[in-house]
Amino acid sequence: MRPYGMMYFCQLLMKIGYFKVRFLCIVILLASVNLISESIYNFQNAEDEIRFNNLIKEIRCPKCTSGSLASSNAPISQDLKLKIVEMINKNKSDEEIKDYVSERFGADSLYEPAFTEDTYFLWFAPFVLLLITLLVFFFRKAE
Amino acid sequence: MKLLFKFFILITPILFLFMFYLLLTEDNSYPGADYDTQNFPIFELETLSGKKIVNTNINDKALLLNVWASWCITCRVEHSYLMYLNKQGIPILGLNYKDEKEDAINWLKKYGNPYKDNIHDYKGSLALDLGVTGAPETFLIINGQVVAHYQGEVNETIWNDVFLPIIDENRIF
Repeated sequence: MRPYGMMYFCQLLMKIGYFKVRFLCIVILLASVNLISESIYNFQNAEDEIRFNNLIKEIRCPKCTSGSLASSNAPISQDLKLKIVEMINKNKSDEEIKDYVSERFGADSLYEPAFTEDTYFLWFAPFVLLLITLLVFFFRKAE
Repeated sequence: MKLLFKFFILITPILFLFMFYLLLTEDNSYPGADYDTQNFPIFELETLSGKKIVNTNINDKALLLNVWASWCITCRVEHSYLMYLNKQGIPILGLNYKDEKEDAINWLKKYGNPYKDNIHDYKGSLALDLGVTGAPETFLIINGQVVAHYQGEVNETIWNDVFLPIIDENRIF
């Protein structure tokens, strides 16, 4: 039955005309893309979606050498993204979500290092170096 | 002052070279190991045999949690060492990760079962809460607390160098 059905379908398409078929194909294609893309992540409002999109750019994919969650489609990244969506929908703050990730996948999973005792050197070293350079520079001038 | 300045110019690159030397030759032979302590996450799942299992069921004094799957080739490599550990009397709980129940049960029938029980984590939700990035991974759990975590195959060297120090320190098993 199937080949016959197929043939009948083709004949029908020919009757409608090539241009219309092409138009129909494009409409179906565009519609299907929208239908699929909508079902992956569900948010309560548009701000949450913006929050999500910003968050996944600031979090590293746990399995990649260097790539953000946003850039990765690894299974673990998909899971983590779904978890983040779930947490956003539970009205968790960005801080809580980042804590959740760094507790499990290490402090280096955040692109911006946290401001803790371990990272004081990281945050202050450039300013200290700049200060030393300026001091040396001015002292030399004074002499 | 001029002397100090010259000294500064000389010593800065030397210090930087020394820093890079230290950082680059750091002897970290086990990048897969970490010793961050963490409470065992709250969960409610089923075992491979269909029994309900929750986090309070893991209240043994100490046990090893091994993340595995039938699709995981390294798990097959690691398997014989887990059999050996089980024979030594070390309780191992399996976390079957993103696997079909049937495949997992067949795998255990075919190669042998070193696990006292297996949590069936089909969606990987508990694994995500534990910070698992793939299989195999192994956790050492003492009194409901994760105390050691290793990503990758556990063999004799890893067991001796990563897990045994902690085990001896806590006097378990």
